This record gives sequence, structure tokens and C-alpha cells, in this order.
Amino acid sequence: LKQSQAKPDSDAIKAIWRSIFIMLLLFTGITGLQVVHAVEPYLTSENQIQTDPDNPSLLIDLFKNHFKYELRVLSYGLYQDSACSTQNPDNRFLDLPRYKGNLEIRPDLRLDFDTLLLSVKPRMQLEYRSWQDGARKDESDWSDDWYLNEWLARLKLAENLFISYGRENLQWGPCFLFSPSNPFFQDNGRKNPKQETAGMDFGRLVWIPGQAWTVSFIANMDEGHNKSMKDDFEKTYALKTDYSGRDFYGSLILSHHTGDRNTVGFFGGWTLSDAFLLYGEGAVHKGSDALYPQEGGIPFGASMSKVHQDDSDLRSILLIGGSYTFENSGTLTVEYAYNGSGYNAAEADRYYRLRGKAADAFTAGGGWSALARKTLGESADTGLRFLRKNYIMTQYTRNDIGDKLDVTLRWVRNLDDGSDQFIVMAGYSLGNHIELFANGNLNGGHKDTEFRSILDRQWMLGVEYTF
Amino acid sequence: MILSIFCLFIFSAQADLAPQEILKKADQARGNTGGVEWEIEIQSTEDGRQQQRLLKVAARDFNSLAEFLEPAKVKGQKILMIDRNMWFLKPGLSKAVPISPRQKLMGGAANGDIASTNYAGDYEVSRFSEDQADGVACYLFDLKAIDKKVTYDRIKYWISKGHLVGIKAEFYTVSGKLFKTAGFKYENSITIDGQAHAFISQMIIIDAVVKEDVTTMIYRKAVVKKIPDSVFNLNLLLR
Repeated sequence: LKQSQAKPDSDAIKAIWRSIFIMLLLFTGITGLQVVHAVEPYLTSENQIQTDPDNPSLLIDLFKNHFKYELRVLSYGLYQDSACSTQNPDNRFLDLPRYKGNLEIRPDLRLDFDTLLLSVKPRMQLEYRSWQDGARKDESDWSDDWYLNEWLARLKLAENLFISYGRENLQWGPCFLFSPSNPFFQDNGRKNPKQETAGMDFGRLVWIPGQAWTVSFIANMDEGHNKSMKDDFEKTYALKTDYSGRDFYGSLILSHHTGDRNTVGFFGGWTLSDAFLLYGEGAVHKGSDALYPQEGGIPFGASMSKVHQDDSDLRSILLIGGSYTFENSGTLTVEYAYNGSGYNAAEADRYYRLRGKAADAFTAGGGWSALARKTLGESADTGLRFLRKNYIMTQYTRNDIGDKLDVTLRWVRNLDDGSDQFIVMAGYSLGNHIELFANGNLNGGHKDTEFRSILDRQWMLGVEYTF
Repeated sequence: MILSIFCLFIFSAQADLAPQEILKKADQARGNTGGVEWEIEIQSTEDGRQQQRLLKVAARDFNSLAEFLEPAKVKGQKILMIDRNMWFLKPGLSKAVPISPRQKLMGGAANGDIASTNYAGDYEVSRFSEDQADGVACYLFDLKAIDKKVTYDRIKYWISKGHLVGIKAEFYTVSGKLFKTAGFKYENSITIDGQAHAFISQMIIIDAVVKEDVTTMIYRKAVVKKIPDSVFNLNLLLR
């Protein structure tokens, strides 16, 4: 939903990005070939590569010793069934396409010197969409997007002091379900590893006073490519302190949002044995910027508002989890999440009642349809990562089965409304460069429950080529 | 062959060394120095299938960072080991995943096998005797894990009396079952304080049950160098 609401770049900006992308790609290919051909004659032994000492080439040295790249091309198709819910009546509100076809080129380029690191991740995306229901039934369209998802310039000021600015997907914490200690990103990218999380612009100062400690000052200066903000972007600053011991690590993150919200985030993990890991993650803050259903108002009898914005009571989000690795290298992970800002039973009842009335008004059209649309927009994006309070996740992962197959099965249950989400991720290697992949997302539960609000099922099938 | 290469190095064992000192010397020849960078090629045969990986590893004390160089499908993947805490990073994956030391790297090699060896710190000597291995006079160490946080619960370790390098090991599960054996070769050399020392060049791991399952780790381009803390810092690692 959020991405579909993102404002498209202007044609001029898109053309600039397209040019930069193509130039970088050509540059990578040409320099890569030059280095290979230039270095080959000077292979002195199986284990040693040297450039000709009588003819040192700055370019060869630069790209052989400091330049790294990864280039991935993904092509995939996506099928999804929208849920028959009051959030998206007859798929007329969200207008989710039934089929999507995508081609993505994802080069990751890096120049790494001792004191300076430069990195850039330009992206090209070509997308086809087809609608089988909703307001755009029987329509289809094509679109292309050219952008910089991430880039970074980092300078080593001293052996233990680094300063950087760039567009990053800055993630941390051990949890799979979500990462509440991160004040910048709601999505930790683990739901579908083939879909990238959009980067935001950060300035960072990282100080490493000793082997065990790291202190980082982080300033989130711009939304970057992450256009999913519900509200206008506001800067956020964080002070992150990390400790790493023999079998324990932990972090404390103090953050300040210019919208006047302070949050204390934390995470930690223990390597209890060779096979057993235990970890936790959480955040505590005063009040909440999320939308809550409030009684009263015409015509729906309730409305969504930030009723807890100025509350002084502390709200907490806490995840605890553990994983066990079996002898066959398969790993079972279990996580429990308490989402203190989530709706209680009364708030959930009010929410679904309001959503139902808004859906009726939206379907009926007429004078209240604009308000109904606004209400459905708010109910679809409340600002809460999860709607209710108690969740459990179980996951089994096994990689390199027969050196070919990676499989992850994940089951998430909303313990308050009984809805479920079942996710399957699989990758099958065909040789050293090609991977076939499939990602499935099946949602279960009653009609008006959290996981049955938007999609019933979604399947993604594709192929990835790595150069 | 191995013995002749040993002769190139000035390396005399001292008869009065304590068992712990002998272990430390053997650890040093397997990477436990002030800092080492090397490439490891892993060749594995498992269930008749052959696999290959090339990694660049930076290791210091109990920390290591391994980056996969080949094949293309794993290029750019990283394993960061900060003491007993391990993380896996992959291009395209949003964030680092915590993993356990038990997770297999490839074939018979566990993640713990790519780091420098610290048997002197991680294990206590429960028995110390003398034995022969591959025709070489050895000290035989029966090592018991100090805690449950290491990759192997018990190791029988043969250290050459003449050269103080480990030449054979047997690895046992908690239940006391032998599950793999390993042999070591030292055809590399490193220079520490101006002196050449024998340094590991190959580790061959053989499954105890299926003898045909063999994993060979070939160590190349070993360079002893100071590796700063920042190399092992998760905040600074690029995916």
C-alpha cells in the first residue's frame, strides 16, 4: 500500500538515474575486463598474483586491489489474491494487481581503500502489472524505475574512528519477526529476502574505544528512497552503544525524533552452547504516534486519531527468541513478541467496526465516500508494525541441502485474534550462477483479522543470475 | 615430505615445555597469532557430490571475518565471528543473521573451522601421553571442552614432538561418539619476530561414518599482520 502511494519520480530525475545506472554498469564491465586481461600474463604461481613491476598501472592496481562488485539480475513473476475484507472491499480500495512481472538489475559496486570507502548500489526495475478485479479490472500497465537504493562514503579518521554519509539500509538486532530497537526502519527485510528494503540517508560517526565496545552517533537526515512514511519525514538522531563479550553481545540505542519522541531501544544475544542461541530485543517510549480508533464522530461512530501522542505512560515492545541448530545444520527458531502499543480487545473491536462502516460507505459511494477512503487509508497504515499485542513465530531453516536447496518455513500467529501467516522461502541452485527461487505467503484466520486484512495468498517465482 | 619441509624451519621443540605451552605452539601454527589474513579453498566430497568454495579470512585472537570469493552464487557472503558470537551476511539480505558455531560451512567443515584455532584457551587437558601418528613421534592430548560453547566437545590431538605442530585430530560428540577425524599439513611459512615458522597449509577432514565424505581446506597467501578491531565490527560491515 505504502509503495503504491509513493510519488513517482519526475521523468527528468528518472532519466538522470537511468544514465548514471548505465554508465556505472558499463564502467564496471569495461574495467573488470581490463583488469582480468592485464593481470593474466603476470600470474607468477598458482597462489600469487602480481602486476608487472616495470609497468605499474594505477588503473589495474585500483581495480584489482580495491574495487569489488556483485551483480545480480532477477526476473520474477508474482501472483496474489487479495483478501475479501473490510479493509479492501472487492479490491476496490487498494487495487492490488493479481499478476506482476519484474525484471531487476542490482549491481553493488565498491571502492575500498584503507582510509576511504565508496559504495554505490544503483537499481533498475521494470515492472508489468495486471488487474483481474477491483477498480482497474482487466487493465494492465508497464513501468520502469531507476534509482540509487544505497550509497556510502566513509572516511577513516583514525584507526578507531569512522565518519560516513550515505543512503543505507541500516539494520541491526537478532530478531526475525521485526526489530523494535531500530528507530529508523519498520521493515527488517526478512519477510521476503528477494525484495529490497529502500535505503534512507544517514550520517554516522563510529568510535571503537576497544575490542569490546563501539559507540555510534547516527543521524537520519532524509527519507532517501524510502517513500513509505505515513507522515512527513522528520529527522531522527540516535546514540548506539554496542558491547561484545565472549559469548554475549548487547546494544543500547537512545534515539530522539524531532517530532519530540524519545525512545530507548536495546537488544542482546547469548551463545549458550555450540548449537543454542538465546536473544532478545525491545524498545520503550512514552506514548505512541500510531493511530487508534476513538469513539464518536459522524458518520461512522468512531475515527482514527493519535490519541496517545502526548501520553506520559511508558509503552514497551519486547521480543525474546531462541534458536537451536541440529546436527544436520537445520535451525529451528522460536520468537515471542509483546507489542505494548498494539490494540487491546476493545480497541480492536472498535477498529474493525469502524473499518466495516467505512468499507460500506466506500462501496456505496455518495457523500461519505471521501471520508471513507481517508478512514480506510488510516486503518491500512496505523503506524503500528503489528496491530495487536501478542505474537509467536516459529521458523525452520536449512541451507545447502545437497549443495543446491535452501529452505525456510516460517509460521507467525497473532495470539490475540487467532490469525496466521505462513511463509515459505526456497532457493534452488542451478550451477554456480543461477538460482531458481520461490516465496509464498499464505494467510489464515477469520475474515476481519490482522493477517486476513489485505492478502489471502501471494506467490513469487523467479530466477536470479549472479555474475 | 612434511618432515623435509619442517627441516627448513628453525623449530626446535623443548622437552621441558608444559602441555599448555605445547598446545599454544600448535595453535600458533594453525593461525592463532596476533593477526593473520589468508585464503582458504574448501573442497568437499559428500554423498558423491563435489563442492568448492574460496574464502578470504582475516583472523585475530578469537575473532575472524570470512568473505566468500567463489563461486559466484556465494560471492560477497560473509561470516563474522566475534569470539563465540557469529553472524552471517549476504548481499541482498537486509541484515546480518545470528548463527551458531555448529552450522555447517560446507561438507565436513563447521563455521568454527575457518577461524584460528585456540585449543589452549578453549580446552583443558584431561590426559597427556605419548604416541605415534603417521610414523611421527607425538604428544597425544586428550582435550575436554572447558564449556559447551566450542565446536567440539572432546578432541584427541596428536602434536609432533619434534616440531610442535598438530598433525592429527579426532573429534567426538558429547555422547562420546567419534564423528570426524582430521589431518594437517604445514607447507606454508610465516615470519614472526624475524623468525620463520611452519604454518598450516592443509586440513583434511574425514567423516567417521562415511569415510568417502572428505573435506579439504587449503590455506594460501597467509600473511601475519596487525588486524584492527574495525575489521570485526558489525557496524562497519557492508552487505
